[in-house]
Amino acid sequence: MNTSFLLFALLNPAFALLAASLYMALIRKVKAQAQGRKGPGLFQAYYDLRKLMHKEVIYSPVSSGIMRFTPYLNLAALLVCSLFVPLVFVPEPAGGFGNVIVFLYLLALERFFTALCGLDAGSAFGGMGSSRSMSLAAVIEPTMVVAFAALAFVLKSLNLHEMFALTAGSLLPVSPTLVLVSISLFIILIVETGRLPVDNPATHLELTMINEAMVLEQSGKNLALLELAHALKQLLLMGVLINTILPVGLSTEANAGKIAVSALSFLLKAGALAVVIGLFESSLAKMRLFRLPAFYMMAFFFSALTILIEVFA
Amino acid sequence: MDMKKNNDIMDLLSEISEMTGEEPEILNARADEAYVRLSEAGFERAALALAKQQFSLIGLFCAEAFEKEDGFTLFYAFKQAGRAPVLVLVREAGREEKVSSVAESFPSASWFEREVRDGFGLEFTGAFDTRRLFLHECYPKGFHPLRKAFKNGPLPLRETEAGTTKVGSNEARTTKVGSNEAGAAEAGAAEAGAAEAGTTKVGSNEVGTNEVGKPGEEYRFRQLKGEGVYQVPVGPVHAGIIEPGHFRFSVIGEPIFSLEIRLFYKHRGIEKLAEGKSPSECVALAEAISGDESAANAVGFCTAVERACGIPVPERAECLRAVLLELERVYSLLGDLAGMAVDVGFSLVASPFLILREEMFRQNEKLTGSRFLRGMMMPGGLKKDIPYSALKELAPFFAKFSRTFESAFERAMSSSSLIDRFATTGVVKKGLVVPLNLTGPLAKASGCPADTRLNRPYGAYGYFAPGPSVRKGGDVLSRYEVKADEIRESLKLIDRLLEEMPEGPVFAGNTLAEGEEAGPGSLSTSGTSGDSGTSSTSGISGYALTLVEAPRGQNLHWVYLKNGLVDRYKVRTASFCNWQAIEHAVLGNIIPDFPVINKSLNMSYAGTDL
Repeated sequence: MNTSFLLFALLNPAFALLAASLYMALIRKVKAQAQGRKGPGLFQAYYDLRKLMHKEVIYSPVSSGIMRFTPYLNLAALLVCSLFVPLVFVPEPAGGFGNVIVFLYLLALERFFTALCGLDAGSAFGGMGSSRSMSLAAVIEPTMVVAFAALAFVLKSLNLHEMFALTAGSLLPVSPTLVLVSISLFIILIVETGRLPVDNPATHLELTMINEAMVLEQSGKNLALLELAHALKQLLLMGVLINTILPVGLSTEANAGKIAVSALSFLLKAGALAVVIGLFESSLAKMRLFRLPAFYMMAFFFSALTILIEVFA
Repeated sequence: MDMKKNNDIMDLLSEISEMTGEEPEILNARADEAYVRLSEAGFERAALALAKQQFSLIGLFCAEAFEKEDGFTLFYAFKQAGRAPVLVLVREAGREEKVSSVAESFPSASWFEREVRDGFGLEFTGAFDTRRLFLHECYPKGFHPLRKAFKNGPLPLRETEAGTTKVGSNEARTTKVGSNEAGAAEAGAAEAGAAEAGTTKVGSNEVGTNEVGKPGEEYRFRQLKGEGVYQVPVGPVHAGIIEPGHFRFSVIGEPIFSLEIRLFYKHRGIEKLAEGKSPSECVALAEAISGDESAANAVGFCTAVERACGIPVPERAECLRAVLLELERVYSLLGDLAGMAVDVGFSLVASPFLILREEMFRQNEKLTGSRFLRGMMMPGGLKKDIPYSALKELAPFFAKFSRTFESAFERAMSSSSLIDRFATTGVVKKGLVVPLNLTGPLAKASGCPADTRLNRPYGAYGYFAPGPSVRKGGDVLSRYEVKADEIRESLKLIDRLLEEMPEGPVFAGNTLAEGEEAGPGSLSTSGTSGDSGTSSTSGISGYALTLVEAPRGQNLHWVYLKNGLVDRYKVRTASFCNWQAIEHAVLGNIIPDFPVINKSLNMSYAGTDL
């Protein structure tokens, strides 16, 4: 452990936690504007969290401990993940932090417990969501592995901190193949956060839900924690994408000025990405459930292509 | 025109006598509807022959103490696609309470018969489905609200649930409420004195208390078993602001293997409420049947009364009615176009339709004072004329409307992701249209040019006919296109109507008394009607059936007036029949596609559950 990492361990998760909900709200705002509506304010997501924290938690009588501890577990897993993706500055590597494989497993852990949680309440919709989520996970998880493998091939490291230390500060992507990987990462971001055309986060139609169906039975504080974990996951995946394709502003030095520049530039870049996501979501109808693997295959294709180029070029 | 109509009905009557080999007794005949009574054997021969000739059973309803009869009279309304006349076979059930079912020949009869069974307590022998329909388990056994013996009022349901004792015999029966047997026995004993006749079935109000503690028949869903088959129960309470309905899916993974729907969670007793009211009072009831079919149902009711009483309707009123009906069609269908896009997550496509819909509501309010076009219709014409200034605004409004609409529709149709979701989804086969009596955009999208405005014109539609719109696919995409076509046709129709709008009064009885405020309002049957209006319904007895094309399809209204008061009012909305199509449309589709299929069919829950 070094002081740079200790500072990072304090600042990065706190920054991520605070900023995460902002982009949930921003995407919603962009979609509303595209439809000609005003949409809720940018702080609505925070107000919602505060409201949920004060609400009563209701459990289904058939539910077990899984319903109760999953929200804490998911948020904890994502907080650990936030130590892996540098947003405020890139620290010097410390121990296993930053390891891509651990990062992917932490995300898998979150998905696994969310699916269990969907089954646990014993409602028809939860089970349906879990079964869909798990079937799709069988396709998206290998795709994620390949995409991160491609990233590791290009940046010659299995550690996210080392990777982004390499890219940090440059105006353009350090390697042209990173553009291809970024397409994969964007698709993964859409899939993992349950956005259109994969899943509709704004729908009330239980029969069409994937992610939302699994947390349908959650309420009050538990729901707030799950929503926060979800927002955090979105922010971290956005961070990976931004650090890959547009790392300008990100610093490797841990002094106050550089940290401020890093954080501020990230906020702006993430804002731009959120607008892109919002417009992307607005431009498509939801895909048929059984056509989704074709969408994932695009991510797989671009990542596999990157690996081929890196190996043979 | 009239000659031809008369020939139509004569042809139909001679066909009937050929089919049955007997001379039918004609109870009543107009140019396009005939009431015919046959012998029991003749009726059964006729039913078989009509089914063979692709007649649809468009309505089946019952009336108690009809004309000189004492018991129950059943009316079977048949119509062949493309032909105007409606043939009503009148069948006396007397007080026997048992008649043979025609559901084997006419699948649409199944719900009709179950409805009659609940309302009147008639048993249909040989029916393949004898479960209750609109009376759920919470209603006591032997309760039949449409019988004249039942005086509308609260049912002592709470007491009924608590009791466990059969009146008279005092035998304790086991019920679901087993815990408070002692208290229940007391309650039963107390009631034994009050209600003596334990077996009577006719006096329904008493039946409620006599059959103490007997829960209504249990409702059994179809059971489908097999490896990997499981059931997904959905509703009756849904997320979002929609009405209640229960959907029981049997699925293998995602594909739907069977769907059974159960509706009627909010029965309002509209038909019972209409009994004994004057026709002008009933217009508000007709408007309340289904929110976005208010104008259509009000016109249907008023036209039925006008036909029964021979009230003339001024030309201007006919034309204004047609304008309002078309406005209603446009705003209703706009909601469908938006809803279907929302259900596949494409809000960007939906939003211009929603904006246009809201603009239409505002126009409606300017025209009539009501966003849902309520409070305008009355038997004999309109309650008030539409101000010239508001009418004049319509043409430029629709010119702008049309441009926005076309660009919005163009945007929808140029999105491959939307087309991908709509095409081949939720196919309703053409073969279902006649047996299930499907109408409206649903039937048109399945290749049947069914439109009451064309096939059996009423009001101004005799002169202003819409163009036909037919698609062959039967899928969600076809319905989307048909609904857009319907909107275009309605806009054209409104344009023509506005151009050729005749001047004159809007109420028949008001020709000479323009200055009088009370004019049209005096249709009531009571002695207070002091005017010498030519179109009063007071004291008249008669009955008539009308069909109107509501946004969702053909609605049937049948009114039976006795001494100027409504004795029986039967409504069969398009939704009542169209709902049954959904069980077929979803087969083989996957569960996540159900919402868009449902929205593309867009049936009214309220219109089904009167």
